[in-house]
Amino acid sequence: MTQAVATNQTILVVGGGISGMTAALEAAECGKQVVLVEKLPTLGGRTALLYRYFPKLCHPVCGLEINLRRLRGNRNVRVITMAEVTAIGGSRGDYTATVKSSPRYVNENCTACGDCARAVESEIPNPYNYNLNKTKAAYLPHAMAFPQRYVIDPSIIGTPDAERAKAACKFGAVDLGMKEETLQIKAGAVIWATGWQPYDAAKIQPYGYGRFPNVITSVEFERLADPHGPTGGKILRPSDGKEAKNIAFIQCAGSRDENHLRHCSRICCMASLKQTQYVREAYGDEGRSTIYYIDIRAIDRFEDFYQKVQKDPTVKFVKSKVARIAEDRATRDPILHGVDTEGYHRYENSHDLVVLAIGMAPSVKGADIPAEIIADSSGFIEAGANGGIFGAGCATNALDVNRSVQSATASVLRAVQVVNKVARAEA
Amino acid sequence: MAEMKTAAYVCRGCGIGERIDTARTAKVAEKEGKVQLVRQHDFLCNAEGVQLIRDDIEKEGVTHIAIGACSRRSKTEAFYFPTVALSRANLREGVIWTQPETEEARETTQEMADDYVRMACAEVKKMKLPAGNPEVGHAKRLLVVGGGVSGMTAALEAAKAGYSVVLVEKTGSLGGWAAKIHQRVPFHEPYQDPAPTGVTELAAAVTGDPGIKVYLNATLSRTSGAPGRFKVQIATESGGSSAEEVGAIVQATGFTTYDIAKLPELGGGKSPNVVDQAGLEKLAMEAAAKGQPIRRPSDGGEVKTVAFVQCAGQRDETGTHLPYCSGHCCATSIKQAMYFKDANPGVDTVVIYTDLRVPGNGEDFYRSGQSKGVTFTKGKVSSVEAGGNGCKVNFHDLILDDKNASIQADLVVLATGQVPVSGVNIEKQEEMPAEEKKVISILNLDYRQGPDLPQLKYGFTDSHFICFPYETRRTGIYAAGPVRRPMDMVQAIEDATGATLKAIQAMENAELGRAAHPRSGDLSFPSFRVDGCTQCKRCTVECPFGAIDEDEQRYPVFNESRCRRCGTCMGACPVRVISFENYSVDTVGSQIKAVDMPDEFSEKPRILVLACENDAYPALDMAGMTRTQYSAFVRVIPVRCLGSVNSIWITDALNSGYDGVMLMGCKHGDDYQCHFVKGSELATYRMSKIDDTLKQLALETERVATYEVAITDIARVPRLINDYAAKINEIGMSPLKGFA
Amino acid sequence: MGDMNIQAIEQYRSDFLKEVEERVEEGHWVKMCMQCGVCSGSCPFGPHWAHPPQEIFMMIRAGKREEVLSSDSMWMCTSCYNCVVRCPRQLPITQIMHGLATYAHRLGLAPRNQPTRDFSILFWENCTKTGRVNELKLTLGVYFREGLMAGIKKAWNMRNIGFGLLLTKRLNPFELFKGHACKDQKGIHAMLKKAQEIEARRHKLPA
Repeated sequence: MTQAVATNQTILVVGGGISGMTAALEAAECGKQVVLVEKLPTLGGRTALLYRYFPKLCHPVCGLEINLRRLRGNRNVRVITMAEVTAIGGSRGDYTATVKSSPRYVNENCTACGDCARAVESEIPNPYNYNLNKTKAAYLPHAMAFPQRYVIDPSIIGTPDAERAKAACKFGAVDLGMKEETLQIKAGAVIWATGWQPYDAAKIQPYGYGRFPNVITSVEFERLADPHGPTGGKILRPSDGKEAKNIAFIQCAGSRDENHLRHCSRICCMASLKQTQYVREAYGDEGRSTIYYIDIRAIDRFEDFYQKVQKDPTVKFVKSKVARIAEDRATRDPILHGVDTEGYHRYENSHDLVVLAIGMAPSVKGADIPAEIIADSSGFIEAGANGGIFGAGCATNALDVNRSVQSATASVLRAVQVVNKVARAEA
Repeated sequence: MAEMKTAAYVCRGCGIGERIDTARTAKVAEKEGKVQLVRQHDFLCNAEGVQLIRDDIEKEGVTHIAIGACSRRSKTEAFYFPTVALSRANLREGVIWTQPETEEARETTQEMADDYVRMACAEVKKMKLPAGNPEVGHAKRLLVVGGGVSGMTAALEAAKAGYSVVLVEKTGSLGGWAAKIHQRVPFHEPYQDPAPTGVTELAAAVTGDPGIKVYLNATLSRTSGAPGRFKVQIATESGGSSAEEVGAIVQATGFTTYDIAKLPELGGGKSPNVVDQAGLEKLAMEAAAKGQPIRRPSDGGEVKTVAFVQCAGQRDETGTHLPYCSGHCCATSIKQAMYFKDANPGVDTVVIYTDLRVPGNGEDFYRSGQSKGVTFTKGKVSSVEAGGNGCKVNFHDLILDDKNASIQADLVVLATGQVPVSGVNIEKQEEMPAEEKKVISILNLDYRQGPDLPQLKYGFTDSHFICFPYETRRTGIYAAGPVRRPMDMVQAIEDATGATLKAIQAMENAELGRAAHPRSGDLSFPSFRVDGCTQCKRCTVECPFGAIDEDEQRYPVFNESRCRRCGTCMGACPVRVISFENYSVDTVGSQIKAVDMPDEFSEKPRILVLACENDAYPALDMAGMTRTQYSAFVRVIPVRCLGSVNSIWITDALNSGYDGVMLMGCKHGDDYQCHFVKGSELATYRMSKIDDTLKQLALETERVATYEVAITDIARVPRLINDYAAKINEIGMSPLKGFA
Repeated sequence: MGDMNIQAIEQYRSDFLKEVEERVEEGHWVKMCMQCGVCSGSCPFGPHWAHPPQEIFMMIRAGKREEVLSSDSMWMCTSCYNCVVRCPRQLPITQIMHGLATYAHRLGLAPRNQPTRDFSILFWENCTKTGRVNELKLTLGVYFREGLMAGIKKAWNMRNIGFGLLLTKRLNPFELFKGHACKDQKGIHAMLKKAQEIEARRHKLPA
């Protein structure tokens, strides 16, 4: 990774999650110059916050390691973190993007030794654990962070804590005078890969998220199961820290719902099926998982995984959209009310923990995408028309990781077509 | 290349200077590592430190560098010196961050650091800067096999990027299945109505593109070579044969439908009024051509009720039919029900399903179907009684819990699955006569390991990896569309576009002699000494990518551009004649031997850890980052893949007095994690054979142990090490110390 | 009324869904149900009826005409609208349930002696007669629905509330004899007749 000269043969990739990283790397490995802009202090996106992938139950950081090694070994990609594209001017083959970067307060001298974090006293909610725990206000996002460089949270700038961080650093890496910067970057084509965000669960009023501590979302559950998460990989209830052995998974939390997200988020059925295996991993035969669903959408070979989970005696399936969740005031157990529609059986089930299989909201929804991008009414980017700006990954559709990477790879060819044309014209 | 000049740098930053006597370490590099230039620096990765190294390279003519600082995974931007051979001694994550900061631990910590510097010096001296592949091919032409939507998309997209294309289609026309359907599921909002397939336009664009050469009624009779220099023989139906040179291949050979005659219980083959989805498309096209509604096949009567049976012969758990879900069939049935509803809302259309699978925006299409009056019934069809002009569909209505529900229908559509057209299953090719193989095969690769792409499961030639859908096992050949995974048309278009990009990339990299994913950009490649080779064929058999062929004398023929640089061949070779310039039996062997071996009475055992560089080694690094401590007696060497571990390293290690050897590789089995397919599995197998050697040496079998380790095992790996160290302590020091 | 039922059976044959779509208030929404069951689970009275809304909708699609129209389910709806606000397909479930009840009643298929149905009939007749609800007559009608003794018993049980109402002038015993009516009774009747005509037209009911 080094300074790549941006020209109108450069490909600008917006978003450094798995789609954006894939797009940047695939383009770079075709010999193209790439600028990769990421909003957060590290690449990796949401997949870096998953414990395991379905259906292989392998670890997302394994692929991240490969991608980071590809990135370290490739000089065609220039990575700009903590930056957002605020405007894109020009047209296909000749864009100029305005990129605004926020100060990290730590420069490239950082060796990731961690002295600043040890010196700082304040703590902030840890966004890399979906705020389930706290982290020091000088922090490395996670063990796989790239760049492997600490960040100082702006909340301590101007306080003695910031000075403590500065004093602790032996390498002059803490630079409290850093300011917001604006860059102009030329590009022939743009790949928009800004991913997705979990739908705001609090809006699903009957499920009590935000009111009942033992109702959490599927992305939060990933952090609970992860050995590097807030509980060290133990599946514990937020209310009392007790082991949560009897867990309900509620499908279509926000998805397939005209009151929330109209589309099906595709990944949630498989994610919940996978998460039942976290329960099994943690508690063996003592674990209890119940999946409340409308349709189990385990398409193509994912069906194998569904069949495997169906055979697991600790997992139960109830065809029902849960009507509402109440809470036992004494135990704080969530109580699910609804009807099993297969033959009409009314239930009132108490669980230790409820996991809402939260829907995928496109990150571009409501965001002001500069330039000629056409989004559908759900907020997903439609395939680029004649422009040189292309969507990739979950910015374009509710996709799983494999399909996001597929989409990102395809978007690169579209971008390559543009810059190759520019190159031919200039040759 | 200029004469070898070696240099070693020892960094004192990040606490290394406080914890380690770096002057002593530097001396070790000089005296024992025998490097010509040794420097210490307080902060080697800063601009000044880097400049120091750069100056040495430029002014002092240094060609080989050992850096004792942080892990090879850290500070890679700073320590980027592409013109020299480089090794890293991991003094930070691997030593000071994993050892207790106590006075008692000082000695063992120092020994660890000194050993890692010895190892780095020994390694780098055996390394050569890769010179690049001399066999590079320059062909930039893409071969596309299959003229359906996937293949046509691949051809057109490649052409748009400026690459010429050869397209080979088995039948007499372009279009594939898409040409045999009336309309398709919509790709764009509002996702309400079936849309024209656009296949005629697509085919016209392909035929009209001067950059695309189309062979119809043609198949591949032979494919040889490697990325950048594939040679293909194209046989036409008329008996003709043409030769083409291409740089990469996209295989878009699509699917066939599951034979409904295999579903007699659902009326398949029993009545013309029971059709599969393809059959319904045919009826719809015929009807559209006549400008008439779809009639009942048995007698041309009016169709009043149509029943769609989802998952017919799919999602089968009995082992009789297809076990998987084809993914597109729910939306397809909705579309087909709309053929009837749009023409005449009075026709009853009932879709009987167990799970309606319309992910993403398919939900809108489902709603549109409902609003058009398509009835959806959650049920399991038990049988279809077909005969005469009516069919009776018997099913278990799961909502109303009615086991004896039934519908009388004029037409029954069975939503059967996609069966991939993937040629010869090379894992079962022994059972197949050569002639039959030739006919069934799609690519007719003259590769030693078989004529087609390896299949993953159920005949699909998919990648095994979630993060890397195009991680092919035959470099430069990419599967796209339903041959890779069951899929609908919109996905096939996306997939073909992605596969084409990978194919283009393969051509570009082949020209530069660079490896494909996952060691992308690697310029090293295997070479072998022919005079030592015993023609045992292990390398050609075990290469996970079919990169090695055999010549007439059964010597291996390495096709560098097909190679992915994992080193499995090197690990396999019993006579150790295979090596890479920067990774060889020697680069690792010399590290093993460089370790200072305390005597039997020192109570300081030495344990060699050979760790997969992608999972186990990062896990060890992250253990360091979290300051998790482990035994000071281990010496860790990262390996490209456990498959590259040659048994000689183990016997050498034991002979030179190591008390134990731990091999840490990826998970194997069905959900294997190894990106080189079978590396860790092969290693486990090879190590099981080493027991004999151990017995010969009168050593306990526990002295060699293999582990499956995941990258997330940050807490577990130190525990494994400590447990193993305890076990070594139990069985005692190796009796072979001091004999080496 | 029986004629109307026979006519409907003949007209729609086995297509009960179509019958509902055309003849039941908001009936065209039934096909949009995706059987998630959130309505059934949301209903506070759910445990007390045979078929919750989602099941009723499935029965309609399955052509179970008799079972649906004679079911007491629709009559149990209290119009709390829990189901409507939670329905992911935004079906006006409450309205559909009332629509079905009305339709069943019209065809003479609604369950006999179903308390809410009886009350509805009483209420309707009571208020459409004079254009105003006569609460005393309505109450007595409900009390004595099951006979003289049952009525007396109920009235006795409620006596304290009754006296309270009397004392606060919320109940006028003279209402029993004539009661007050709205000024333009003829106008009200004409309006109701017109409304019924419009409704019949909209739902293709025989006039």
